[in-house]
Amino acid sequence: MSEPSKFVEQSRRKPVKVLGKSQPSMSRSGMPLFARNGTPSDYRTYEIYQRERVHEATEKIRPIALTSDEFVRDPYPILGTLRENYPCYRDWLGNAYWLTRYNQVTSVFADDANFESRSKLWFYRLPDYGRDLRDELAVQFAQEKLIDANAAPIAQHIADEFVRRGSADLALEFAARLPLELLVSTLDLPRQDFDFFVERYWRMQRGFGWNPADEQAGRIAMAELAAYFEPLLAARREKPGDDVISAIAGLQLDSGPATGEDVVVTLLEGDHETMHGALANLWFLLLTHPDQFAKVRQERRLLKFAYLEALRHSTPVLWKKRFARHEVERFGRLLPIGGLFYCAAAAANRDPWIFEDPDTFDIERRDLCQREPRGHYRSDGLAAGVALGLGKPSKHPGMPEDRPRSLYAITRDTIVTASSVLLDTAPKLRLESGAQPALGSLRLGEMHTCWNLPVRF
Amino acid sequence: MAESFADVMQRAIGSEALEGAGDLGGKADFPLMPLGEAADMGFAQDGTPFFDPRIFYSAEFRRNPWPYYRILRNHYPVYFNKLNNTYYVTRYADMTECYYDDIGFNTIPKGSSNGVLGNVTHEFSGVEHRRRRNLFGQHLVGKALEHRVPAIERLAQEMIEAFPSLDESVRKVNGNVASVELGRAFAYEFPVRVVCDVLGFPKEAQHHFFYWYDSIMSGLGASETHKQGMEARQHLEDYVADLVEERRKNPGYLYDNEGNKLGLDIISKLCASRIDGDYLSSVEITSYIALVVAGGGETTRGTIMNMWYQLLQHPDQFAAVVADDGLWDAAFHETLRHSNPIGGQPRHATFDVELHGVHIPAGSLIEMVNFSGSHDERVFENPDNFNLFRSDLYSGKLLRSGYNKGGVCSHMAFGVGPHMCPGAWISHQEATIGSRILARHLLNARVNTDMMPKDIDGVSLAPIGINKLRDLWIDYDLA
Repeated sequence: MSEPSKFVEQSRRKPVKVLGKSQPSMSRSGMPLFARNGTPSDYRTYEIYQRERVHEATEKIRPIALTSDEFVRDPYPILGTLRENYPCYRDWLGNAYWLTRYNQVTSVFADDANFESRSKLWFYRLPDYGRDLRDELAVQFAQEKLIDANAAPIAQHIADEFVRRGSADLALEFAARLPLELLVSTLDLPRQDFDFFVERYWRMQRGFGWNPADEQAGRIAMAELAAYFEPLLAARREKPGDDVISAIAGLQLDSGPATGEDVVVTLLEGDHETMHGALANLWFLLLTHPDQFAKVRQERRLLKFAYLEALRHSTPVLWKKRFARHEVERFGRLLPIGGLFYCAAAAANRDPWIFEDPDTFDIERRDLCQREPRGHYRSDGLAAGVALGLGKPSKHPGMPEDRPRSLYAITRDTIVTASSVLLDTAPKLRLESGAQPALGSLRLGEMHTCWNLPVRF
Repeated sequence: MAESFADVMQRAIGSEALEGAGDLGGKADFPLMPLGEAADMGFAQDGTPFFDPRIFYSAEFRRNPWPYYRILRNHYPVYFNKLNNTYYVTRYADMTECYYDDIGFNTIPKGSSNGVLGNVTHEFSGVEHRRRRNLFGQHLVGKALEHRVPAIERLAQEMIEAFPSLDESVRKVNGNVASVELGRAFAYEFPVRVVCDVLGFPKEAQHHFFYWYDSIMSGLGASETHKQGMEARQHLEDYVADLVEERRKNPGYLYDNEGNKLGLDIISKLCASRIDGDYLSSVEITSYIALVVAGGGETTRGTIMNMWYQLLQHPDQFAAVVADDGLWDAAFHETLRHSNPIGGQPRHATFDVELHGVHIPAGSLIEMVNFSGSHDERVFENPDNFNLFRSDLYSGKLLRSGYNKGGVCSHMAFGVGPHMCPGAWISHQEATIGSRILARHLLNARVNTDMMPKDIDGVSLAPIGINKLRDLWIDYDLA
C-alpha cells in the first residue's frame, strides 16, 4: 500500500484537538467549540439504541422533501406535517433530527450543557483563522452607540431618495440596504469603499454552505477584507475614533493584538440576517395585510408589536443547527453524541399548542410575549417568538447597568425606528398594483425573506 | 453613489439567484458524460476541481461514478458533505486503517439501516463483537462451509436443469438459439435458496423469504416503503421466533447427496451455542438471521449478474474462464473490485479525530466508500479497467487482513479487519459454483444486445456504475 504511515499516527486515539493555536476558539456562550468528550474512558462498544417499530414508521413524509425546491420556497407545510406527527423526526437522508415543537426547540436552544452550536468558521473549515470578538464589552458599546445614533438618519436618507423617485423595491433597497449602511457606519468606513465592502461581505456570508464555488468566493472575500482592515486597524490604533474598528484596535487581548482576520471573523459571526430579514418580512406582511397596516398607521406604538408578530409569523432564520455534546435522552429517544438537530424556529413559532391561530398575522395577539425573552423564552406566562440570530435570551433577571442593551433590544429598536421614519416620510406608502410579493430563500438553509417588494409613495 | 445598491447586490449574490431562478434545493441536473469523464463542477483558482455534493443524487453519478470518486481520492481524501452531514473516506489505505480501528471508528448503527434490519451483530465493537461474531460466523467458513458445498451444487444444478420449463418472459427459444434472462431465471433465486438451505428453513417458508427480503431491502432509508419494510421485519421476527422454539426441541440437520447427516443446520447450532455459559435468546438468534436474510441475497445476486455482464463484454476473458474453471475465483474478485454492488459502510467517530487535516468531531457519521477504495490508483493499476488477469489484485483464499504475504491487496467490497463481511466465503462459493455450472450449460454464451438498455450513445451497452444490473439477457446455443 502506498500511503500508510502518516494517516495512522493521526487517526489513532488522537487526543481532542482544540481549534486555535494559542487560545481555544470559543462559541458565543463561552463554551469551547467542541465538547471535550474524547477521553477514551467514556465510550461504549455496544448498541443500546432502540430500533423503530412498525407503528413508528414516518410514512407521512419522505426525507428527500426536506431538500426539495418546494421546501426552499415555502417550508411551512412540510414543517407543519413534522410538528403535527413526528415530534423528533429522524431524517435518515440528511443524517439529522428535526425539532419542530415550541417546547422542544426552545429547550434545546437554551441548553448549552448538552447541545452546542458550531460557528460559521467551523463550517468554513478555517480553524485557526481569527478570533470572534463580539463578546468584548468595548465592541458592544461602540456598536450600540453608533447604531442608535445612525439608525434614524440613515433611514431618513434612504426614504428621502425613494420619495423623490416615487417608487422603490422595499426589499432590496430598504430592508437589504439599511443593515449594511448601519454596519458600515459602525465601522466608520470611507464612503467610497461601501460597494467594495458590501460585495465581499455578502460573499463571505453565503460561503460557508455546501456550494464549493461559493465557499471559495467566500474565502477570497474574507482574505480581501482582512487585508483591507489591516491598515485601518493600524491607523486607528494611533488615532482612535468611537467606531467598532477603533474599539477592536484598542482591545488588550491575552493572545496578542487584534488583526484584520479578527475583524473579519467578528463580522462573519455577527451577521445582519435577522435585521435584514425581519425588516423585509415586517413590511411584506404589513403591505399584504391592509387591515393590520391600517392599525399601525393609526397607532404608531403598535409598530413594535407588528415587528414581534412578524418575527413570529415569518421568521427569517428558519432553523438553527445544534449538535449534541453528549449522549442524551430527550423527546422519548436516546440521542447520540454528535447528532445534528435542526431546531426549526419557523415551526415552533407556528405551534398551535402555544399560539392560537398560529398562521394568522395578528399584531394584537395576546398570547405572544411582548417583552424580551429570558431564560426559557417565557415571560409573564406567555411564550415569546423564537427569533434565532438574536443571541440567546439573557439569563439575568435584569440587565446590569454597565452593559449595553442586548442585541435583541438593539435590533428591535432599530427596526421600529427605521420603519417609523419610513412611515413618516412616505405616508401614502402602498404596494405596487398587481404586485404579488412572496417569501422565499435563495437557497436551502438560507434566510427566508421577501426579495422583491415593489411599492409606490 | 455612482451605482445603485441593487447593482451591488446583484454582483455579490448573482441576478439569477436574486430572481429565484438559481438552484434552490439539494437537486441539480448534471449532464450525462462519456464514461470516465467528470461533468464540469468548476475549478478552484489553483486548478483543483470542485466537488458538488448534489452529484450524489444524480443519474450521471449512478451510471458513471468513477471520475467523481477519483476527484475525491485525489483532492479531498476526507470529504465533508454538508448536505447530509457525512464525512467520506475514499482511499484504500485510509479505509483499511479505519476498519482496523473498530473502537475509534465504531459500527454502532445510527444509520438508516437499523430501522428495518434491527439490532444485529455489527452493533458491537471490540471484544463484544468478537465473541458474538465467532459464534455465528464460524458456520459460514472453513470446514462448516465445505459441508454445504454439495448442497450449493445440487441447488444450482436443479435450477439450471429447470431452464427449459421457464416462462416465455424469462426464456425464449428461436431455432437453435435460446435467450434467457439470467436474473429471473437464476441469479435472484439461487442465493436465497442457498441461504434458506443453510439456515435450515423449511421449504414452505421460501416464498416468505422473498417477501421479507424484498420488503426489507426496499424499506431502507425511510423511503416510501419504509413501513412495509418494518412490517416485513416484524413478520420475519415472529416467524423465526417460532422456528427457533421449534428447533430447540427438534434440531434440524444438513445432508449430503447420499443422504448422510453432515451436521446441524445453523439455527439448530445457534440454539445450542452459549456466551458466558448462557444460551442465546430467541431475540438474539432472530437478529442474526435477519442479518443473513438481508446480507445474503442482494449482494450475491448482484455479483453474479455483474460478473456475467462484465465477462460477456470481454469475450477473451470469458473464453479463458470457460477454458479454465480455476479462473472463476479471479473473475469473482475482479468483478467485486470493479463493479461492487454495495457502495460502502458507515462508521461513527468515537472520539474527535483529525484525518488528512480534516477535524471530525466525536459522533460524526463517516462513510467508508468501499467502491472508491477498490478503484484507488494507489493500489490498483488502471483501476477502471476490468481485467481478471491483473497481478495487483489478491484473489486467493479470503483474508481478513486484506492483503497476502507478498503485499498484494484484495478488493474492498467485503471490507477488511474485524468487521469484514461474514458472508464473504459463502458468497464466493455460491457465485463461483453457480457460474461454473452455468458456463457448462450455456454454450457459446453472449449478451443479447437487443434486449439490453444502452448508454447515452444509443449503441454501447449501459454501464453498471454503482447500480446492480436488474436484467441480463443472454443468448446461447442449444446443443
